[in-house]
Parts: sequence; structure tokens; C-alpha cells
Amino acid sequence: MFFHITLERNMQLHPRHFGRNLRENLIAKLMKDVEGTCSGRHGFVVAITGIENVGKGLIRDGTGFVTFPVKYRCVVFRPFKGQILEAVVTMVNKMGFFAEAGPVQIFVSNHLIPDDMEFQSGDMPNYTTSDGSVKIQKDSEVRLKLIGTRVDATEIFCIGTIKDDFLGVINDPTTA
Amino acid sequence: MTIVSDSPVHSSSSDDFASFLDAELATSTSDSSADEEGDEEENLESKRVKRRKVEVLEILEEVQDSTARVETSKEEAICAHPGSFGGMCIICGQRVAEEAGVAIAYIHKGLRLDSPELVRLRNADMKNKLNQKKLHLILDLDHTLLNSTMLFHMTSEEDYLKSNADSLQDIQNGSLFMLEHMRMMTKLRPYVRQFLKEANEMFEMHIYTMGDKPYAREMAKLLDPGDQYFNDRIISRDDGTQKHQKGLDVVLAEESAVLILDDTENAWTKHRENLILMERYHFFASSCQQFGFRCKSLSLLKSDESDTDGALASVLRVLKRVHSMYFDEDPRDAPSNRDVREFLKSVRKEILQGCRIVFSRVFPTSFPPESHQLWKMAEQLGATCLVEVDLSVTHVVANDPNTEKSRWATNETKYLVHPQWIEATYYLWQRQVEDKYPVNQSKSQ
Ligand SMILES: [Mg+2]
Ligand SMILES: [Zn+2]
Repeated sequence: MFFHITLERNMQLHPRHFGRNLRENLIAKLMKDVEGTCSGRHGFVVAITGIENVGKGLIRDGTGFVTFPVKYRCVVFRPFKGQILEAVVTMVNKMGFFAEAGPVQIFVSNHLIPDDMEFQSGDMPNYTTSDGSVKIQKDSEVRLKLIGTRVDATEIFCIGTIKDDFLGVINDPTTA
Repeated sequence: MTIVSDSPVHSSSSDDFASFLDAELATSTSDSSADEEGDEEENLESKRVKRRKVEVLEILEEVQDSTARVETSKEEAICAHPGSFGGMCIICGQRVAEEAGVAIAYIHKGLRLDSPELVRLRNADMKNKLNQKKLHLILDLDHTLLNSTMLFHMTSEEDYLKSNADSLQDIQNGSLFMLEHMRMMTKLRPYVRQFLKEANEMFEMHIYTMGDKPYAREMAKLLDPGDQYFNDRIISRDDGTQKHQKGLDVVLAEESAVLILDDTENAWTKHRENLILMERYHFFASSCQQFGFRCKSLSLLKSDESDTDGALASVLRVLKRVHSMYFDEDPRDAPSNRDVREFLKSVRKEILQGCRIVFSRVFPTSFPPESHQLWKMAEQLGATCLVEVDLSVTHVVANDPNTEKSRWATNETKYLVHPQWIEATYYLWQRQVEDKYPVNQSKSQ
């Protein structure tokens, strides 16, 4: 799920950045440091949308570095267990398939693919129903349910399932 | 990363988020430091486990009167955790020990499978392969399918190659490539295109190299520009479970259905019977030098291996034989009893069937002859190796025409051949014409 939230961070700035462009430098560094990273609590920081407040700087003894508390607003993405998610299939093999939803990597094992879908190898590996009506292959769009999530410093891993009602292929690239 | 305009922003207030999080995580610790997430989830996990234990106890009490309930609850409670992705079970999503099972990193980072699951997948694959009439083929890169050199290792005499490199826009029709971003040149072995095309009909193919991942992917692009052959089956040195070794433990295929092409026998100590040892393809001067050859490289001779009679063409014929033995001959034999290793052995044994070989001063005197590479090669080729000459002997192998046994061979009109006759026969899978491997005075030094 996406959320638009306010977060706070203590930014350390080297004295060479002080001067007229102090605020710009601070924001540029904040974007570089934060966008694209993950935290276990908030998920993946997609983009910073604004600065709410830059607090008073605190000079650190000895180094001359200054620490500013910065409050900023950002869009974050965090998957939850039980969440239904739409994702794009990136890889299909005999173990199951991998799918991606933005920064989230989801694995759907063949244990959690309906039993009537069978693996077909070849140059475009896929899972297909016996009547051939439903096919999952690279670039298919699928709706899946997350049964496990884990947020690391840089990546989000999820376990998904399509073995339930209303889950599975929502868009087949071959018929598009 | 940008947000699409219609992305579902469910909440516009951080308070909503906080309350959602609190509900989700069900526990609240003092502040919002991100580091504590792990602990929180673990707490949650242990709670779940406790709850489940309680459920199991309840089930045990109810076992007499309600079997239906037991069935459903059991399913939920007992999961063998057959594998993990990102440290979570691939079936139930629970956190599991990070080091359990075998890492299948070449398929995806963070994916691990335990051995019962590997067995299950290999069984399922075998059924699939029998239906498709396909086996598995594992291909080494360097000196087997191609030869690469760093640009700074190239001699000035090889400079002509740089201007003769083929276009990377038309990989399918080229064989010599300049990869500037990797500071390398790569030459594909003659016949490799035809080889891959035909082998793909009979085998599911894997690349397995001691090179690193970026190199493996780059070479795969040269060998398979249409992306038809290898898919995600590209294994590099970081994906193995043992240093300096290649193993079938990370390959999702039954060992009885796998053939391996490699020029390095010692990389496959556990799977020698699956191996078709390849004669090394040295195109560049640096490659010859690396292996201690003083002869001129193909690049300096402006020459190349034969297209239609070279190593890959010979091996393709062997692959076809083994494949047809596996699928076409002896239909009484159940598929589960068939083993490519046995077929490979028997094909090899036919090659020098009936030959009786004596070696003359080929091995150091202190060396036990039966453990010498040439002796073993000859036996694998079906020949009988003897220590002393008698009239049943057909070949004397020597470096020097003037040894006692060499002269005996000449007098008795037996074949007198250079040791290379055995090597060439071994690598080309065909008894070589003896006259092409004479024992000359000049060669004895
Ligand atoms: Mg090699
Ligand atoms: Zn499990």
C-alpha cells in the first residue's frame, strides 16, 4: 500500500555546504540518502514530496559538522501480509514464478499455483491450464495475495499465492 | 522512481498510517526507530507459534469426536518449510532459518530449497523431460564453447583481430567479438551455432562457468542472442556450493539424465561419469601461454579448428547417439532404469574395441602405469592395455621409434603410434587413422 507520511531525520552536513545554498544542499542530500531506501517499519521510500521543517542546527565538537533535524513528507510503499496486490511476472521456471510490483519482489512457489496449471518448459516457460485457456508467463499481469513480507535495508521480499478465488492472471501479454 | 498519477494513495495522513501500522504490528514499543521492526515481527511470530501450539493441544483433546476439524487445522499447523525466499517459507510465509537448504542463487537471490523439495522438483522435471524426449546438457564456457582474452594480454601480432571483429548488432552471424566495456575479446568455437541449435532439440541446456556472473551473462548473449536456449539456467562460480568445484546439487535435474561438456575434469570430481571431456579450444595467444604451450596460437597462425570435423561436431554426434539410446532403443526397459552415464560409457567403449595396446617408455618408470591418464583413456575407449608385448598386441604407443618395443612393432608389422593418437581418438570419439600419428625421431625430444 502507498502512504503519504511525515518522517524526521537528522541530517549531518559538512561545513563546505554552508552559505546561500544551505537549504538546497540539505534537500539534495536528503533525497539522495532517503529515496529508494527501505525501512522495516515504513517500507520503501518512493519520493520526497516536500520539506515541512528544518530545525536548528547543532554544531558537533571537533568536526565542524552540523546536524539538522529535518521533517519531510514522502510517499512510501509497504506491503502487508494478507494484502492483495497486482504484479508483473518477471521470471517463470519449474519452481514457480517471480513477480514485481515496484520495488517489491514476490515469489509464488508452484505449491501455491492452482493444481490444474502445469509447468511447460521451452523458450517461453509458462504455467498453463490443461485446456490452455489460462497461461502465466513472463510479462503476464497477475493478482496475488501476500502471505509473507520482509523489508530489508534495500529490498522487499514477499511470498505470494494465487491459489485462491479471484486470484491469478488479469492480463495475458499474448492476447494484448 | 516516480509515482504514476493514478497510483492508489490510500492515505493522506501520517496518523492513519501510524494507526494502521500499530494495528498490523499489534505490539508497541517506545519509539519509532526503524531498527526495531525485526524484534516486533519476531514477537509476533513467537505469539503465533504459541497460539498454534495451544491449538494443537486443543486438537489432541478433541481428537475422538471431531476428525474433520483435525484435518483442516493440521494442514495449517504443519508445514515442512521446504524452501525459503528472503528468509520466509515458500509455502506458509513464516520466517525460517536463513541457512537451511541449498541456495539456488542463480535463479534468484534469496531463494533456497531443502533436499526433499529438490528431489520433488527433479522428479517432476524428469516426467516433463520424458514427455518432451529431452535430457539435460550442462555446458562450460571457456575453452569448451569459446575462448576469451583480456585486451591487454593480446600481442601486437594479434592486433589485426581488433579490426576484424564482428558486429555486436548482428551477433547471430558473427564469431569474433570485441567487448570494450569488459576490455575483452571473445572468439566462439567453430560450429558452436549449429551445435547449440541441434542440441537444443534434444536437451534442456544450462551454462555452468567458473567465470563470474556478469561474464556468464555476457557470453550467454553472444551464444544465445535470441534468448531461446538458456533462459535462467546460467550458473556462475558464485552460485556453487563448493569452492573450485562444479556440482549438480544446484541443478534441478536427475543426475541420470545429465550430460556435461567441460574441458576441466577436476571441476567435476563427483560427476566424472556424466562428463564428456573436451579438448581445450585455444584461439588466443594468451590462452596458450596460460596453459604452458609454446606452440603458436590459432590467432597467430590465422587459422581455426575445423568446422565440420572439430570437437563440437564430433561431440554432437555422441550426444545424438546417447539421446537415441535413451529414448528409442530398448523400449522394454522402464525409463526410471535408464541412465545416460551407462550409455555414455558404452558408446565410448566401442571406439577402440579389440585393440590391445602396449606403452613403451611413455610413462616415468616409477609411475604405476594403470593410473596414467593415457592408460585410463585407452581403457575407457574399450582397448586392453598390456605391460609386455605378445602376438595379440595390436598397437605400440611410443615417443621414440628406437625403443625395443618400438622396433618389435615395426618388425611384426603392428601399429606404432604416437601418444597423441589416443588423445585425438578420445576427444574426437572416433578411432583415428594410425598413419597420421607416426613416431618420428624428431618428436622424441
Ligand atoms: Mg573451461
Ligand atoms: Zn512453511
